[in-house]
Amino acid sequence: MDFSYSPAETEFRTALRSWLADALPTGWGETVFEPKDEDERARFRLDWERKLHAGGWSGINWPRAYGGRGATLVERAIFAEEMARARAPEGLNIIVGHNLVGTTLLRHGTEAQKQRFLPKIISSEEVWCQGFSEPNAGSDLASVRTRAERRGDKFIVNGQKIWTSFAQYADWCIALVRTDPEVRKHAGLSFLLINMKTPGITIRPLRQISGESEFNEMFFDDVQVPAENIVGEVNGGWAIAMTTLAFERGPEDALGRQMRFKQELDELLTTLASLKRDGGHVIDDPIIRQKLAKSITEVEIMRLNALRSISRYLNGEDRGPDVSLMKLFWSHAAQRLYDTALEALGPLAPLWGSAATAGGRFQLSWLQSKAFTIYSGSSEIQRNIIGERMLGLPR
Amino acid sequence: MNFGFDGTQRSLGDTVARLLQSVPALTAPDLDPRQSDRVYEMLAECGLFALLVPESCGGTGLSLVDTALAVESLGGGLAPPAVIATLAATDAIVRHGHEGQRRELLPKIASGELRVAIALLEPGCGYDPHTMKSTIANGRLTGRKLLVPGAAEADLLLIVTGSGGKPTLALLDARSGGVATQVQESLDPTADFHEVVLKNVAVRPESLLGGASPERAVERLMDVSATLHAGMLMGIAAQMLHKTVEYAKIRVQFGQAIGAFQAIKHRCADMAVAVEAGQSAAYYAFWAIAEDSSDSPRAAAMAKSYCGEVARMVCNEAIQVHGGMGFTWELGLHRYLRRAKVLEHAFGEGAWHNERIVAATLAALIPETNRQWEVA
Ligand SMILES: Cc1cc2nc3c(=O)[nH]c(=O)nc-3n(C[C@H](O)[C@H](O)[C@H](O)COP(=O)(O)OP(=O)(O)OC[C@H]3O[C@@H](n4cnc5c(N)ncnc54)[C@H](O)[C@@H]3O)c2cc1C
Repeated sequence: MDFSYSPAETEFRTALRSWLADALPTGWGETVFEPKDEDERARFRLDWERKLHAGGWSGINWPRAYGGRGATLVERAIFAEEMARARAPEGLNIIVGHNLVGTTLLRHGTEAQKQRFLPKIISSEEVWCQGFSEPNAGSDLASVRTRAERRGDKFIVNGQKIWTSFAQYADWCIALVRTDPEVRKHAGLSFLLINMKTPGITIRPLRQISGESEFNEMFFDDVQVPAENIVGEVNGGWAIAMTTLAFERGPEDALGRQMRFKQELDELLTTLASLKRDGGHVIDDPIIRQKLAKSITEVEIMRLNALRSISRYLNGEDRGPDVSLMKLFWSHAAQRLYDTALEALGPLAPLWGSAATAGGRFQLSWLQSKAFTIYSGSSEIQRNIIGERMLGLPR
Repeated sequence: MNFGFDGTQRSLGDTVARLLQSVPALTAPDLDPRQSDRVYEMLAECGLFALLVPESCGGTGLSLVDTALAVESLGGGLAPPAVIATLAATDAIVRHGHEGQRRELLPKIASGELRVAIALLEPGCGYDPHTMKSTIANGRLTGRKLLVPGAAEADLLLIVTGSGGKPTLALLDARSGGVATQVQESLDPTADFHEVVLKNVAVRPESLLGGASPERAVERLMDVSATLHAGMLMGIAAQMLHKTVEYAKIRVQFGQAIGAFQAIKHRCADMAVAVEAGQSAAYYAFWAIAEDSSDSPRAAAMAKSYCGEVARMVCNEAIQVHGGMGFTWELGLHRYLRRAKVLEHAFGEGAWHNERIVAATLAALIPETNRQWEVA
């Protein structure tokens, strides 16, 4: 065990740190923040990602051949830490484009697909969305019904997807579709790459708990997809989708989220240090301090859990149910963090928007946190996976 | 960066686990404090007490992080807490002892000839070493210490006390004049707790640890002990998880193994998550204190607080999943429950460490504000 860093790794850190200092807008995180409007915010995040790319800090642990930096997993972890330290903005394409599509194509894509798609993911020229879930196929993902029929050198796609995050900004979509309705449900699925500009695709925004509309419904009406845009074999899509999910729940994703939670936690502590109530500072309330300690510890453990999984991979193990342990932990710990945040804000916690303490960011995050235990496989599904595949309990 | 253990570290853990398994009395249902008498010698024979002793003093010269899995095995195998006390004391002598103490004591500790008990708690006091009532005045130590594991068998007593208003560490011969030990009844008699009464015990300057900065020696002892206890707690939690999962596979009700019921399966999964998270916290603390990383006091506090909570949750769930069997004396789950509870309360329980975690975090995040509080 060794948490110290090699000279090369330290150099990587220093270079990134100084780049970030220049790249972030002056007053970032103090007087300058992300735009409040959702669409403007999406554009802002995309611009930030493009800036990262221009600086050579995008797709850092991907092979150089596809525009990546060829960095190690450890450097990937350092990257997450430094982004947290600088309170850097979030990206728009990172969750789906980088973490899901890129990683899946790296494992299962043809050379032509890698050449065609990876560089534009890394540069964020092309934004991606994930069309897996359907109204009747959520936890039971293998029940998807969206149909893809082979006609000549094309697939014709008909059906409906739901809860598709970022579809409104996306240029491309990874879609899990049914190519054979006659066989066992897992055996008739295929994994397609669909251009969102293709005629026949309709997107309707869905409003979320928070009032925002990050996710959407998508309707496919005789959408033509070139046959070469299949990943893997026809009817071999389930295994590919499982790779996608393993990365969706993996340490790279968890580290990225951890950095966000760490920033919010620091913000919360700073806020409470200046917030006065009953003649004292809220931060001195011993009961609040007990709860903060738990969140401080849990946010640190999120990072350590991710580093442990990364080390497992470095030591030759493959991704397994460890990703479910990690996701189950961070999702519930993050929900506790935001519950604690609102509790600490006290009597005025119900205020919303600019009237609220810290501009209402904790209220918004609290609402958003409710999704953590639902998406990327709900907590119940993660518990099934851990129980059956890791602990060996009967189905 | 590599957050994994190497082959030597893992095999140390396995060796200790196997050795303890060869003494069934250790985990037997009955609460006999003498059942483990031989264990200390066996552990000494396999070299456990030499691990932290530098090679120049007849030891193996390993670091605390090398012992993390061995400590976890000690916890899971219900080795008496006195074993951990000797390991923590070894670190204290290695780091803060003077040349004479190192030369004289370390080789004998390494060989198992000398056992050390650590005395911290006092009546009417919490865990803060600054608030101990016992004091050394005019070269004499007077006070009462409670819940000292293994005090009767110990050759040396490492006593957290005060001198001139500051915390300090005295390392005394357990048979010094004025020292009286008496067994204390406790939730876990196998932890072998004693009350130690100190009446005008002579303390020569060369019996103190820490030289010019005794406070640092005390802090280090608290952090090391907290970390070692966190490791032991994770050993217990991992054992309880394992036993529970195995039981859920074989116990049949309603025509199926109870582990097929989601209410049971999901509890087991949550236990597994807790064990993974607790180990992350504990292992990191081992590394941080071994390397004197600047965040090591906070890492130790996190580990102790969090692992205490994990062990508590996992023991509770383990008993629930075992049903009536879990509540019996004969199955012996109560041994783990009791041990986890006494370890949870040693060297700072959750609330005490939580306060330290917040203070350390704020001091790093907003140093100016923190100074202002201290003044206020
Ligand atoms: C904010 C957000 C963004 C999302 N973005 C995307 C996206 O971009 N792309 C995409 O494809 N999907 C996305 N999803 C969908 C998400 O993956 C699904 O919501 C999720 O898989 C659950 O499916 P469901 O909503 O149909 O719920 P259901 O499957 O109907 O589950 C309802 C409840 O039943 C429980 N349950 C179901 N099956 C079992 C079982 N076997 N055992 C025990 N309990 C069970 C669930 O845990 C849950 O509590 C998003 C969801 C959210 C909330």
